[in-house]
Parts: sequence; C-alpha cells; structure tokens
Amino acid sequence: MKSVLSVEIETYEKNKPKLLKESNGKFVLIKEKEIINVFDTYADAVKVGIDKFGNKPFLVKKILEIEPTQNFTSNLIRIKAECLQ
Amino acid sequence: MPSVTTQSKNLENEGPILEVHFLISRELEEKYKKDNIPIPEPVVVKALIDTGASACVIKKEIPEKLGLNPVGATNITTPSSKNHECYQYFMRMVIPSHQILVELPFIATPLDGQEISGLIGRDVLKNGILIYIGYANQFTLSLL
Repeated sequence: MKSVLSVEIETYEKNKPKLLKESNGKFVLIKEKEIINVFDTYADAVKVGIDKFGNKPFLVKKILEIEPTQNFTSNLIRIKAECLQ
Repeated sequence: MPSVTTQSKNLENEGPILEVHFLISRELEEKYKKDNIPIPEPVVVKALIDTGASACVIKKEIPEKLGLNPVGATNITTPSSKNHECYQYFMRMVIPSHQILVELPFIATPLDGQEISGLIGRDVLKNGILIYIGYANQFTLSLL
C-alpha cells in the first residue's frame, strides 16, 4: 500500500544531497514534489506547514546525512504490519 | 514548574501511568477557528512514563479520532523490530488539572498488551524531573 507521505519522502530523498550541502541540520518543509522552505526549528516548519496547508499531509524533516532511529526498550510496541498505512 | 503527583495501588505492577488529554495543535486550532471548522474534542487516554522510550508514542487511533494527517515519518527500533518507519503527528498533550502542556510530534505505533494508549518518552522527560518513590507507590512528574 502506498503511504500518505510517499511522494514527500521521495522528494526528500531526491533532493537530499543538495539539502545536506546547503542546510545540514535544519528542517525542511515538503508538500508533494515541492520543497516549500528550510527552517531553523521544527516548530517554525510545522507552523508554516499548517498555515499553508491546514490539516493536509505534509512532511517536516531534519536534514541529516544519517537519520537517527528512535529506540524503544519496551515490548509494548508490537510491529505486526507496516506503520505507514 | 507545573507538577503532577500520583499515588498508585501497585506502582511496581502498573508503572507510572497518567491520564492525559490529546488535542490538535495550537496552530491548527487557530486555523480551524478562522475557517469555522469544528474543533475536535480532546481524546482522553492513559499514558505510561517510559524512560526506555527515546520519544513519545501513541496508538494510531488517537490522531484518527482527532482527524489528523501526518506531518512526518521516522524510523523506530524495538525489541521485536528494527528500523521500522512510522508516521508522526503534531499534537498537544495536556494534563489540564496540573497545567502541564507539551506540543510535539508523536509517533503512531501499535501498542499492545496493556490498557495504555501512549508512552511518554525522553523527548518530554528532557525538560522535566521524574521522582519515582517505589516504596510509597508514588511518583511525581514536573515539566518546564
């Protein structure tokens, strides 16, 4: 099944080398195939995203060469199927 | 610094659980008001304070009830899975009686096994103090 943010994630991956070169460590706001802007903070990027698109899906991502993984030691999270559905 | 102190019947068995309210973000609420869109009711659930969680997670039913769309995706690693990609939803988590409010991206995952619908992770705890008094079945969470 195609994820709601698959176009935005693809756009990020396609533009990642350029974003890393120009804005490493900042936050990019992406809607479909368009890079809207780059921001210093996560909150600023989300605020502009909500202002422009309201409650429509958009992607805010920290521009990093290696993306950190969130870690959970608890067994309460049981992955049975893809989360991006 | 707003604080909440909770007495548990069996803290060892239940863990530090709080009743929390999830709401749409402040920005989206403002936009809804401007556009005359009804604001969804808060979703009230139980959440476990989990020092083993690097970030907050919620059951995906919570953003569904609030009618929210994702604003990000991130990879998670658990004892049973590695680098699993999950959606993030930007929301407010509030304990109204104690003026505790945090607004951040919450990761939506399946949560099984107990009557909890969220984990309060270290992305919240980094701004607070957690006091766990095991012998008294009591804990206190204070947040900046």
